[in-house]
Amino acid sequence: MQQLFDAAMFGSTLRIMTPILLAALGGALCSRVGLFNVGLEGLVLIGAFSAIVGNYLFGNVLLAVLFSIIIVMLFSALFAFISINLKANAIVVGISLNFLAAGVTTFALRAIFDVKGAYYDKDMVGLPKWDIPLIKDIPWVGDVISGHSPLVYLGIVLVIALQFYLFKSVSGFRLRSVGENPIAAQSIGIKVRGIQYGAVLMCGVLCALAGAQLSLGQVTMFTEGMTAGRGFIALVATMLGQANPLGVLGSSVLFGFMEALSIRLQGFSLPTHFTLMLPYIVTLVAMFFFKDRTYAQDALKAGGSSR
Amino acid sequence: MNRVKETLRGLVQPLLAVFIGLLAGAVAILIVGGNVVDTYAEMWKGAFGNFYFFTNTLARSTPIILAGLGVALAFRAGFFNMGAEGQMILGGLSAALTALYLPGPGWFVCIAAIVAGILAGGIWSLFAGWLDARFGMNLLITTLLLNYIAIYFGGYMVSYPFKDRTGSAAMAQTPMIDQSIWLPKLFQGMGLHAGFIIAIVAAILIYWFTHKTVTGYEIRMLGSNPSFATYGGVRRIRMMMLSMVISGGLAGLAGAGEVLGTQYRFLDGSLSSASYAWSGIMATLLARSHPLGTAVAAILLAALQTGAMGMERNTDVPLEVGSVIQAVLTLFVSAQIGYSFLKRRKEKKSNATTV
Repeated sequence: MQQLFDAAMFGSTLRIMTPILLAALGGALCSRVGLFNVGLEGLVLIGAFSAIVGNYLFGNVLLAVLFSIIIVMLFSALFAFISINLKANAIVVGISLNFLAAGVTTFALRAIFDVKGAYYDKDMVGLPKWDIPLIKDIPWVGDVISGHSPLVYLGIVLVIALQFYLFKSVSGFRLRSVGENPIAAQSIGIKVRGIQYGAVLMCGVLCALAGAQLSLGQVTMFTEGMTAGRGFIALVATMLGQANPLGVLGSSVLFGFMEALSIRLQGFSLPTHFTLMLPYIVTLVAMFFFKDRTYAQDALKAGGSSR
Repeated sequence: MNRVKETLRGLVQPLLAVFIGLLAGAVAILIVGGNVVDTYAEMWKGAFGNFYFFTNTLARSTPIILAGLGVALAFRAGFFNMGAEGQMILGGLSAALTALYLPGPGWFVCIAAIVAGILAGGIWSLFAGWLDARFGMNLLITTLLLNYIAIYFGGYMVSYPFKDRTGSAAMAQTPMIDQSIWLPKLFQGMGLHAGFIIAIVAAILIYWFTHKTVTGYEIRMLGSNPSFATYGGVRRIRMMMLSMVISGGLAGLAGAGEVLGTQYRFLDGSLSSASYAWSGIMATLLARSHPLGTAVAAILLAALQTGAMGMERNTDVPLEVGSVIQAVLTLFVSAQIGYSFLKRRKEKKSNATTV
């Protein structure tokens, strides 16, 4: 037990939960404006890939992240255009977007780097690790909290910022009203489409950051389909957290912890299949316990299921 | 005459999408410095160039048709069954284990294995349906999560308890199924097996079921207008369970067909790496959940995939061009661009009711 739950494990929980958290915050924004974004998985994948491409092109991590943000915003704009202007079912568009992301990244991997499966360059520098002064010297806490990439801390800051924005600011109130009742919102002069576009584009930014943390955060490489369902887990985190930033943080911590635990358990000569299965089972169980009625109604409105 | 006109109008949409998809493919080919016309010619040859390639394309389309039909039926009923992959894997695994361990004459074991595959897929899918109906757990998400559980479970079963220990120990796979149980080949020396006929029959049966029977009508109505359907006395939960069972059963059948007709064993990762299930979902989206259309779209997607392989053999263009074309195609069909888009443009722009 002592071996299992040491500081390193909680540290990796923080690291692993960050992509899920960032993407889930994006998903929360989308669901707040009434567009259930199933394309998170694809957007994060494109983010991870374009961050590596940006790093390759510019040799600068900051520019790489910016490049990734621009590319993913383009794709999220596509999602917004098709589901808002062309009025396609957002879920169907999201599913197709995932296909597009998988296709475009595998193709671009071949076209740009001329490799199949994965791209790795040992000279490439990933995101820096920040040591927090003072905190890093506290014995246990320092090991857990200090020494992560800036995006890990940014994720936490964004939770607080978004919580404040959504529930304490006028603009946040307008955004929520669009999701609650678009017709009423429009009748009092709120620009429904503009706000929906804004939320989807912001979701793109967050997914780009999530992708950058995946590909540049610790490994500095890209592998085909490296998101491996994290975008879908983020979707569940959005749902469990009831599209509340603090709630989303809570569920992301849970998933991050489960994944860190499953990685740790592999060292205990259990068949890896079961440890790898663990996060998905826990997600199912968590869905069972934290049912969200309002969400079910949203899904009904969006033509999903949960009737 | 009216009917012909209607059919033609229905074709405008997919044809336009195919055109946009090929256009995107052309851009991709130009990016990697290939010749568009030559590349597409090689692609066509790789898919339909001679009888061998043509049967290859049909063989590849078999699991895509079946998985796609299953998804199409669920879509028709208004449910997003994203779990075809897991249902297919469990179907294939059950078929392989039945074929290996059930005694009896070959034809009997073959049928029993197919039934086992259908049952396994159906039950796995029904489980997701039950979680939704009984506990309100969103089907879209549960089916996705159940995929991963099925993948790892299948991997475990063939890495430990049922692993083939006779040959090369490195592969996680079951032993080879006895030859008397294999699905017969349709032509000597070709990959195409009886599973293709099963798939076509299934497409016709599902078309007949959804368009000519009362239950099928109720399922379609549930999908297009749930409140009206319930008002009209359709028992939602029951219909949901029914469509989920058939949907998963078809995906399970797809897995069983691959195991009994192509691989003759359950090999870890072989069903998921070819992404038959996801191609099936794409086919469904392309055909707007029409059963016969799904079969045609599945053959089209299979042709794109085998064509891309042929293209890669003979040109410098990577086969991933195929997946770009597929993805763009699917995206633009979902967008309902084209005819309906033009129609909407004429309508007054209404801002609010976007949801």
